[in-house]
Amino acid sequence: MLEDTAVNGAAARMRNGVKIYGEGTATVRALDGISAEFASGRFTAIMGPSGSGKSTLLHTLAGLDNLTEGTVHIGDTELGSLKDRELTILRREKVGFIFQAYNLIPTLNAEENITLPLSIAGNEPDEAWFNEVVTAVGLEDRLDHRPAELSGGEQQRVAAARALVTRPDIVFADEPSGNLDSKAEAELLAFMRRAVDEFSQTIVMVTHDPIAASYADRIVFLDDGDTVDEMVDPTVDSILEKMKHLGE
Amino acid sequence: MLRAALRGVIANKVRLVLTALAIVIGVAFVAASFIFTDTINARFETLITDISAGVDVYVRPIPPETGNDLVEFGSIPDEILAQVQAVPGVRVAEGAVAGYAQFVGADGDPVGGLGPPTLGFSWQTADELRAMTIAPDNGRAPTGPGEVVSDVATAERAEFGLGDTVTILTLGPPEQFEVVGLANFGSEDNLAGATTAAFELEEARRLFDLEGSYIEISVAAQEGVDAETLATDIDAATGGEFDVKTTEAANADQLSEIGEALGFLNTALLAFAAVAVFVGAFIIANTFRIIVAQRTRELALLRAIGATGGQVTRLVVIEALVVAVIASSIGVLAGIALALLLAALMNAIGFNLPEGPLTIAPRTVIIAMTVGVVVTVVAALLPARKAAKIPPVAAMHEELARTGRKPLRRRAAAGAVVSAGGVGLLLFGLFGSVANPLLLVGIGALVTFLGISILAPLAARPVASTLGWPLPLLFNTTGLLAKENTARQPRRTASTASALMIGVALVVFVAIFAASIKSTIKESIFDNFRADLNASSTNFQIGISPTFAEELAALDEFDTVSSLVFDTASLEEGGTDIIVVDPLLAEEVVNLDPSPGAFAALASADGVVVSSAELEDNGWVVGDTIVMGFPKEPETQMEILGSFGNDDFGQYILNRDFYNTVYDNPFDSLVLATVAPGVDISEARVAADTIAEPYANVQIQNKDELVADLEAQIDTLLQLIFALLFLAIIIAILGITNTLALSIIERTREIGLLRAVGMTRRQTRRMVRWEGVIIALFGAVMGTGIGLFLGWAVVLALADEGLGSFTIPWGQIAVLVVASGVAGVVASIYPAWTASRMNVLDAIAYE
Repeated sequence: MLEDTAVNGAAARMRNGVKIYGEGTATVRALDGISAEFASGRFTAIMGPSGSGKSTLLHTLAGLDNLTEGTVHIGDTELGSLKDRELTILRREKVGFIFQAYNLIPTLNAEENITLPLSIAGNEPDEAWFNEVVTAVGLEDRLDHRPAELSGGEQQRVAAARALVTRPDIVFADEPSGNLDSKAEAELLAFMRRAVDEFSQTIVMVTHDPIAASYADRIVFLDDGDTVDEMVDPTVDSILEKMKHLGE
Repeated sequence: MLRAALRGVIANKVRLVLTALAIVIGVAFVAASFIFTDTINARFETLITDISAGVDVYVRPIPPETGNDLVEFGSIPDEILAQVQAVPGVRVAEGAVAGYAQFVGADGDPVGGLGPPTLGFSWQTADELRAMTIAPDNGRAPTGPGEVVSDVATAERAEFGLGDTVTILTLGPPEQFEVVGLANFGSEDNLAGATTAAFELEEARRLFDLEGSYIEISVAAQEGVDAETLATDIDAATGGEFDVKTTEAANADQLSEIGEALGFLNTALLAFAAVAVFVGAFIIANTFRIIVAQRTRELALLRAIGATGGQVTRLVVIEALVVAVIASSIGVLAGIALALLLAALMNAIGFNLPEGPLTIAPRTVIIAMTVGVVVTVVAALLPARKAAKIPPVAAMHEELARTGRKPLRRRAAAGAVVSAGGVGLLLFGLFGSVANPLLLVGIGALVTFLGISILAPLAARPVASTLGWPLPLLFNTTGLLAKENTARQPRRTASTASALMIGVALVVFVAIFAASIKSTIKESIFDNFRADLNASSTNFQIGISPTFAEELAALDEFDTVSSLVFDTASLEEGGTDIIVVDPLLAEEVVNLDPSPGAFAALASADGVVVSSAELEDNGWVVGDTIVMGFPKEPETQMEILGSFGNDDFGQYILNRDFYNTVYDNPFDSLVLATVAPGVDISEARVAADTIAEPYANVQIQNKDELVADLEAQIDTLLQLIFALLFLAIIIAILGITNTLALSIIERTREIGLLRAVGMTRRQTRRMVRWEGVIIALFGAVMGTGIGLFLGWAVVLALADEGLGSFTIPWGQIAVLVVASGVAGVVASIYPAWTASRMNVLDAIAYE
């Protein structure tokens, strides 16, 4: 059992999570009885080889997909019992997302994209908080631009700002820097780090990039649908070292 | 390549089914119009051949060149029959008369007469010459006064039987007859829905005012005598004064008359087929454009592994061909069903078609299939050529396939040229003097539609934004997204909306045309009629018996009773409408605006009063002499006695007394009456109704009722046209569904993202629904614009024909636009459902 919640309590946790895709002989056990907790106010990275189940873990934690067996909690809410509408509303109020690509709606400008979860819910953005987030990602001058007019790095920072604007309990990021050059990657990850340090945000990020993972407070390593190891306060070197040994 | 194409068809089957439906409807109309007319012709041919089987030669009066030939039979003097009988080779010859005979039901209402004719004739005694036969248990032939034989179907419809007494209306007052026999026509129990009454010859002559003459002599030849030779001999024996034809030739004439009468139906069906096919072409082009876009990667892969651009084009064209052949085949079958439906409809409204099989000529199938296949392939050609331009590198990077769009300026120029050409053709057809203006106007309208649809993408963004402006206010982000989605692909939005545009434009045009006719009628009736009451006939073929006006005039309740006849006469350059009046009384009942003294002159001399417009057009002046042709006097010198201003009814006015000498029509078209001073109109009305009662076909109306009656007739026709145009709108709705469904698939990731960040299923459905509504409204707005223009141009062009008042039925247009919006909602039900059920994970599952 991986425990990291002594100080802050768990923002999200999974108990005995099993996820099976397909039927008959073609079944794939993407998650194999995994249990994990993600502490509030911490930046956690999930790493593992292709097919280790890290994306499935993220999707099921975030309520985008449901488990075959086991339970998932976001805060105090158990997701398995929720209907589609309740899940949708939970996502919009308590969860933020940053994806690798297709993160923005092309017909909306940067500001509209950032406030999208609020406006879908019919809520007004908190002006001060919106300004703080926008300033933090450095997009004050780009708010009326459409995604097509923004660089890849700017687009991902818009996505990051959107994930934070609802003050979610937890932000899930799926390879957020996967399509970015190294400078843009550094800017995005620095922002995510600051979101945790300055705004006490909780972030769970799936990545296969040791540099990205080195921004996290803690890394959970996955293989064959279960946790195999973890590391606190990682550096690029220690991660590379660990990955070498995991492969053995 | 063929296998790849077939796979493509199967992979896109839902989409292609929607496309195919558009083809099916168009082809079905083409097929139905041919099958229906062929079938009617074939069945009538059988019937006519059947009932004339025993006759070899017909002798008839030479048909008048003008006039109502149902009334003006002309006649053959009695002694001609003896001349015919004396011709060597004639075995038997017998004369017959015919006229108007309206059965009156027990309830006092006329039987039939609203569609098929109400015929009366004399009973021929020679069995082989007679069209009617009486079955053994159905009574006997009429042998004297007061006896009638009716067809079996009429007896059933009017619920009378052998031995019953029936009322029949002919020229004079209604009379009572005893039904002595019930007859069939060949194997049919009626003559194409007509009511028929047969009387003994002398009785018939009395009833039809044809004493001492015949209107037809039918001849059977002796064994071995050739009909052609006999006809020539009879023609010679009767001095070439009559129309002598073999049965074969006479029947051919009759069939071509039936064909002409039904020609309008064929034209109407083909016009609707053209609309359906044209609208369908837009949907087909759109579907293939989207299919190509969706398969960019696959097609690029084909290019990358060595397929030429031409092969890729062929792949798409073959797919189109497969769909076209399947859909057109179904269309032909649907056409057969539609033809059966039309036949049932004709029977339901009283035009009983003779029994028989459907005639499906090879020509019908070939034309219908060709139309379906050619239209589909041509519509798919442009997307197919675009497919060839996909670069092989797009297999790796799809973004690279989005080639630079053609500059909008070129599109604007092309669209403007085509639209201008279409409008030019249209206006030339309307205002120029051309041989076949309708065809030119039709083609002009089609080309205009094409031009506007080329221009439509330019308008799509601003118009969609304008139409969608309230959405963000009403529905926040959902509304904003719906609005933006319609504006993001102006080409697709525009071509989808174009299909609806055509349907809406035609409906608006027809509505304007009808509204303008209605308001013109109303103005015209209130301007033209000075009489308080107006009597008209409910029987299309025959007017009001002349004794009615006499009886009405005898009443104290009325001051002036005067009748009008509307007929046609021939001029050097063709036929014209004439008005026949009693010159001394006409001014009391109708406002024809004659020049001073014109009617006084007409009362005292044989001549004609000509409209001022006609005088001006021909450069005539009062006092000139012109040549006019009448049924009994083909070339008559007519002095112009005066002019008149109100030419709503016709350009030439004749004196009734003169008319009676040159026409064989005793009937009045209208009887107009002014109520005597001090008499209440409603009292006078009751008196007039009492007189009218026995004349089952006469109805009395005041001006308001007359207007309402005419408007109701127009509305009936309008509903029929709307019902057919409704099909075009259904095709357009299919097109919207198609486009939306494809857009949803293309936007899988985007919709998944929206769902991930918290858009509920309901909100997703709402977003797609409003997108559909905007597309539909865009089509409706464009269509309304074009429809208004078409309506305005046509009404203006017909101003000379008396269509004076351009009226826009705003209420109907508003209903139509709202209905289009609702159609958008209906069209988006399926795509919205798909979008809301979309798996959120698809948004973030990347390769």
